Amino acid sequence: MASENILRVARYPFLPEAREFISRNIDLSLESLEKTGSEAALKRAVERIKNALISREVKVAPQHESNYVREILSFPIAIILVSMLMNEYIRRIYALGESRGAYKRMLNESDETLLYIGRRLGVEGFLDEENMIRVSIPAYLNLAYAFHERHWKLVNRIVDKGCVLVSRVEYARLLQVEVNNYVYDRTLEPVPAAAVPESFKRAVKTVAETWSKLEAGKPSYTPSKGIGDNPPCISRIIKRMENGENASHFERLTVATFMIARNMDIQEIIEFFSKQPDYKYNVTKYQVEHLAGLKGGGKKYSVPSCRTILTNGLCHPDDNCRGIKHPLNYGEKHVADKRGVS
Amino acid sequence: MLQISVEFLKREFFKYYYENINELMPPSQIKNREFGFFLNKEGSMLRHKCFSNIEEFHRFVLNEVPFDIYVSAANYEDPGNRDMSEKKLTSAELFFDIDAEPPGGSSEEDSAWVCRKCGQYGLEVEEKCPACGSKTELIKLVSEEQLKEALKETEKLINVLTTDFGVGREHVSVFFSGNRGYHVHVNQEEFMHITGEGRREIVDYLLIQGLEEKELLSFLRGGKYLRGRDLRGVKKRVYSRVFEMLDSNGKSKKAHGEKRILKQLENAIEELKVRIDPVVTIDMHRLMRMPGSINSNSGMVKKRIQHDELHSLDPLKDAVAFSDEEMVLKVRIAPRFKLGGRTFGPFKDEEVELPAYAAVYIVCKGLGEYVGR
Repeated sequence: MASENILRVARYPFLPEAREFISRNIDLSLESLEKTGSEAALKRAVERIKNALISREVKVAPQHESNYVREILSFPIAIILVSMLMNEYIRRIYALGESRGAYKRMLNESDETLLYIGRRLGVEGFLDEENMIRVSIPAYLNLAYAFHERHWKLVNRIVDKGCVLVSRVEYARLLQVEVNNYVYDRTLEPVPAAAVPESFKRAVKTVAETWSKLEAGKPSYTPSKGIGDNPPCISRIIKRMENGENASHFERLTVATFMIARNMDIQEIIEFFSKQPDYKYNVTKYQVEHLAGLKGGGKKYSVPSCRTILTNGLCHPDDNCRGIKHPLNYGEKHVADKRGVS
Repeated sequence: MLQISVEFLKREFFKYYYENINELMPPSQIKNREFGFFLNKEGSMLRHKCFSNIEEFHRFVLNEVPFDIYVSAANYEDPGNRDMSEKKLTSAELFFDIDAEPPGGSSEEDSAWVCRKCGQYGLEVEEKCPACGSKTELIKLVSEEQLKEALKETEKLINVLTTDFGVGREHVSVFFSGNRGYHVHVNQEEFMHITGEGRREIVDYLLIQGLEEKELLSFLRGGKYLRGRDLRGVKKRVYSRVFEMLDSNGKSKKAHGEKRILKQLENAIEELKVRIDPVVTIDMHRLMRMPGSINSNSGMVKKRIQHDELHSLDPLKDAVAFSDEEMVLKVRIAPRFKLGGRTFGPFKDEEVELPAYAAVYIVCKGLGEYVGR
């Protein structure tokens, strides 16, 4: 019977002890992977990725956990496969799937385990006497940026002696972002093609086929000229709206905040919305001005992060999206030198 | 500025740096910082400079005698790289800039005006140029009162940093900027790794932007019970102030209409927010004026202020960098101003003898030219 600790590692294979376990027990050099009977782990790795692509969540059931060697090993293999696919969208979806699965599992953990996972991920939390979890301000800020809702803003949090107070669920959400970033960053590491065993190449092909099937159902899109330096997610929404397609609330919010952040004229933004089937001048004017912080509480709404856009199914990254976490950072290289002094 | 004035400034700046070169102490990890310089009074900044050690940096300063010296808030792997993203930022100090607000209700003697259109100028206040009728520009040198106001904001900032944010005082360095305000640097390790987006949240916290009104309203309507633990940090300060304001007219807190509550909330925020310059704090690649260097907008020094001397220090006296040796100047226009513990002016189209520090000040401000000793 496996110990609770090892089952936990199988449930959260991104924990540092998973790496420790592997380096202690398994030869993970690519050459030897084929020999070590990793076929089962490879199969499970493919399943992880397909889980993420199809249902946006990598599920880990008790029968997976009990087969813990296979389970632990399947995670780094999945990372290798995703890296080999060299597809930005798959990278992001896979990271989302792993992190979302982990989030759901974390909700069922005891306080002790939840705090333990946080500590091992470098996002330390402390339970205080009021049963709230305290996270240091820098750690909080570096994760909560991913959320768009107002209650995540630092100004709306209880801040005390260097800590932000969060609930258990909120803490798990923060850890989800950390897991997402970790998985995503690891899939950016290049894999030397020559060293990859044949069985891996076949597995990559399987995933790619699943991917094309999923993509086949979607409308195609070619960026129009003149859209310029906008990230593909934004260009895509703009293009659709220009064609008079009815955009969702979130799409409208994303485009409007993006245009505001790029200092586009408010009047121009309102005119842009005029192609929408349900367009009403006064309503649009009010909403755009509200987002720009000219109405209501004076709060200027920020542009949703890449993560939020992905969660809403609107991320269609190209090569220039690699490594960025916010649509406004797209093409950053070209504008980075415009800065001041104090 | 005439060449003779440029040479005068260079001479004075050199003397200061020669005698005080050890005051020029860049933040830690000099090898990883980017430096910027204005070598001339006009023209563009020399940037992307880097130095491998402090001696090399000091030698550069004594050779070039820059008008202004800047250092990056950030540490980079490759600070000399001209491509910002290739510099590879590893961490950055949290940096705050608080400027004195423009003066309100200006007294005539402390003011002068120039017309940028026809070049006319004069003392006291003229809204419209008597010669050509265009709008004039007010010239008013920073006053002790304005600096005191800015200092109050600085203290508010220090308070938030050390209580709400839990930053140790030893990691909060306060400086008089050398001209119109204060700079605050935070170098506590964990805070140096906050991303640009996180810094934006810190700015919103300080400026109290984006605060949810719903919670306060529902509490005042007697709805949601506000637990004791909810009242901490900026929320506690804002809510308490709103309650005080609402209580002050004898009516029960809950009897006020929504409009009035929101008005008081606005007032409380206006009173409690810390007036930092948001752009400066958000920009991780910012270059900061080097501590101990001369600010060529005034000829005063960016001077470190210890926490216990915030009130005793008089910037317009203690940040003076130059001697009181008398110099002759031709002053075009200068309202009355206070510097080095003395009051000067007002002057108009006159040749005057001033101590070096006041002469440098006038020349730096572009209000007069150097004549001789």
